[in-house]
Amino acid sequence: MRATEVRGSSRKTLDRPQRPLSRLFSIAFRCLLLPSVALCRPHAAGASDAGAYTELSISGIDSLDPAWAYDGASEEIILNIYETLFAFDKSSVVKLAPRLAAKVPSRRNGLISKDGRTYVIPLRRGVTFQDGSPMTPEDVRYSIMRFMLLDRAGGASAVLLQPLLGYDSTRDEDGKLKPSAWRDAARAVQAGRDRIILHLPKPFAPLRSILASWAPVTPRRWAAKNGDWDGSEKTLAKFNNVEKRGTWLFDHANGTGPFRLERWDRQAMEVVLERNDRYWRKAARLSRVVVRGVNEFETRKLMLEAGDADSIYATWQAFNQVKALAGVRVIEDVPMIEINPMVLFTYHVQAAGNPFIGSGRLDGDGVPPDLFVDTDVRKGFAYAFDYAGFIRDVSRGHGTPANGCIPKGLLGYEPRAPLYPFDLGRARRHLRRALGGALWDRGFRFTMLYLAGNDERGIVCRMLARNLASINPRFRIDVRPAEWPAFLDASVSGRLPAYPDAWQADYPDPHNFAYPLMHSKGYYPKSQGFRDAEADKIIEQAMSESEPARRKKLYARLIAIEHADVPHLLIEYPSNYRTQRTWVRGWVSNPVFPESPYGAYYYPMWKAAS
Amino acid sequence: MRFMGRRLLFLPLVLFGVTALLFFAVDFLSPEMRAALYVKNPRQMASVEDVIEKYGLRKPLPVQYGIWLREALRGNLGYSETARMPVADAIREFFPATLELALAAFVPTVVLGVLFGVLSAVFKDRWLDQATRFVAITGYSLPSFVLGLLLLMLFYGKWHLFAPGRYSLDVDLAVHAAGFKHPTGLLCLDAILDGRWDVFWDVARHLVLPAATLTYINLALLLRVTRSAMLEELGKDYVRTARAKGLPESLVVGRHALRNALIPVITLSSLLIVSLLGGVVITETIFDYPGIGRWTVMAAQELDIPGVIGTTLLASVLFVIANLCADLLYAVVDPRLRA
Repeated sequence: MRATEVRGSSRKTLDRPQRPLSRLFSIAFRCLLLPSVALCRPHAAGASDAGAYTELSISGIDSLDPAWAYDGASEEIILNIYETLFAFDKSSVVKLAPRLAAKVPSRRNGLISKDGRTYVIPLRRGVTFQDGSPMTPEDVRYSIMRFMLLDRAGGASAVLLQPLLGYDSTRDEDGKLKPSAWRDAARAVQAGRDRIILHLPKPFAPLRSILASWAPVTPRRWAAKNGDWDGSEKTLAKFNNVEKRGTWLFDHANGTGPFRLERWDRQAMEVVLERNDRYWRKAARLSRVVVRGVNEFETRKLMLEAGDADSIYATWQAFNQVKALAGVRVIEDVPMIEINPMVLFTYHVQAAGNPFIGSGRLDGDGVPPDLFVDTDVRKGFAYAFDYAGFIRDVSRGHGTPANGCIPKGLLGYEPRAPLYPFDLGRARRHLRRALGGALWDRGFRFTMLYLAGNDERGIVCRMLARNLASINPRFRIDVRPAEWPAFLDASVSGRLPAYPDAWQADYPDPHNFAYPLMHSKGYYPKSQGFRDAEADKIIEQAMSESEPARRKKLYARLIAIEHADVPHLLIEYPSNYRTQRTWVRGWVSNPVFPESPYGAYYYPMWKAAS
Repeated sequence: MRFMGRRLLFLPLVLFGVTALLFFAVDFLSPEMRAALYVKNPRQMASVEDVIEKYGLRKPLPVQYGIWLREALRGNLGYSETARMPVADAIREFFPATLELALAAFVPTVVLGVLFGVLSAVFKDRWLDQATRFVAITGYSLPSFVLGLLLLMLFYGKWHLFAPGRYSLDVDLAVHAAGFKHPTGLLCLDAILDGRWDVFWDVARHLVLPAATLTYINLALLLRVTRSAMLEELGKDYVRTARAKGLPESLVVGRHALRNALIPVITLSSLLIVSLLGGVVITETIFDYPGIGRWTVMAAQELDIPGVIGTTLLASVLFVIANLCADLLYAVVDPRLRA
């Protein structure tokens, strides 16, 4: 009946004489409307598949090669596909559990020699790679050597080169491969029948932590068969400092981990992982994991709300928005192992053609290049920052005031270590004394750059500028954002008198903070021109010391030196939060895991019925 | 043909000029700034010198340009760090997605723009004209990110009709299955050729919102240009003569006036298609659409010089081709130009 009516009405319409323009209009309308009606079917949310998990991040990954990747996004994927010898036990950043190793070596179990220079690591049996081939000690040896010897410019190889070979780079000053590099590595890493033996040039306490974070095991024969490095000295030159896409492992993966690579879609900034059903432990509960880069926050939020995403990357600025979403759980106060933000002082600024120091003289319209050599200047700045106010107002009360270069959670963190209080009176006293009183009389003017888009660091600069100007109106700091290339250029060339930055752990050990922040050969002190012989000595002693109590004591002394020297203002040990759907279960917070708390080790996770 | 030949011969010169200009501009950036492409976090900052050395960033400009040109002539446009693939591959991957979106937006923009522009002129100051004027004003006034987000919030966030991205997880496996062929890279077309209507409808649904946003934003200009060109033509003597001869109004408008009014419309349409094909940054970002615009903006932000040069080359080629097409179309609609 209804069909007849429709047909009838159509005929009636067609019978009616139409003007050409009206007909055109009618055709166009139908052309647009009819497909639209066909397209308007409700969208089925991805969450309906309880085995599939979707994480929305903000960027794509850089490489799948464990010896190349040095960014959180890539490392997160790699550590779901590959496995390291040890892993951090659940949420701990100190306690290790064996993963591909059968035991965690220690002095107590006799697997670390008395002099701390030999590590014997028994390996787990019965582990297979995702292609079905068995993991052998030779694979472990190859993976550690490959991680060190590929040593790409700007890569992470130095974290293992330093403890195992005693030097930071496999290349000499001319950029040529050191002739002894392969032999040194082969001597340092040896494979036994069911174990791996490491020989260190000197004791290095953080080694186990490094091996729990880096150099996951890759199959040598599979890699070599596909044109990657075969592990020999002869072919090393071709692979040392190799181009990013010059290795087979750049976009192929074959690990022992709970997930295998299904696809890396670089166009969609998406990685798809599938459950490894041959996994040596019980197979993961999630069958599929999609990690996708979605730049726009609103889009990520809508996808989370619609159930197309199970967890998303969100910043503190978005906290209230995501907290208000129905069906979404926000896990607050997730600890981080980092110092963020902090302000670095450059002791000897590069003066030539430097626009950031004004006139370059102490005439009220610039600063002399060595302004921050004077301890009173640095202390004046330290007292002029409102640390508690920053954490209260900017970090919304989350985070801990930073009182030293060892962050909360690590051995050596001392909660009772003194802080610089926000005290403008004391700041005034130090700045009056600075440069024999000339600074107070003439004033200064310089520029602080911060990374564009990082509003928190911009606020740090403005707070400092405002407080100093309130002490003496002749103290002027111009605050400017800069895109990353401009910021990098200005900071590495030593042209910034003071600038905000942050430091994140390569591995969770106090050495990874003490060295880059306080050792004269560490990155920051080197570029700042800061040097304290006692600090250097303490850091080297603590690095070799395996007894935790003695290490802790050494770091306590280091923090006291840091407090007296003030080479930087450390502002906050931040905490973060995670945003996920309420049906997500099993997420384990561990700040060591790459991209935590947004990223995840998916093995223990699953989705409850929605 | 000679005209076309001349234009195409001109293309290599344009490309050479564009790339030389870009290299010249890049030379103003210090090697440290250019190293920022490879050094992404403070943990890598100690290696900046190593990176500069590795990528030859201190080499003199003519040497760097010479190396690039030599490789480009061999078909190697370099490696784009932001696309994580060679530039030529990136263009091959990203361009079809943008082309698909551009066509989905361009066709309705031109059809509706010309149609309503003509109607608006014919029914000047009547309700239809007022309505199109309203559309034009709102189209001009609404920034694409506002309109895009509004549409996304309503049609995805509220009614769950059209999701962002290029396709949904449901068809993800089908699109990447070995049996699914990608002869054109245009997923809608590929899905039809593969007989996968489920994929076709899914991809088409993902195109609706970004295409609607682009259509609405671009419609305004085309509509106004068509209207004013039509009004100008409708007031001319030859139209009055045609009407006096008793020609039906539809012929007067459709065959005589519209044909002459199309010249500025063709010019504008050629510019529109170039801007759509060159990538629509904001729309692609909001709708998480993996096209050339999203890549272009990432390349520019991160100083990915090979990426920037690749996208600029593409835009130059498109611009020359679009101009050529526009010139040919002028000749089609106006016989006087064929001489």
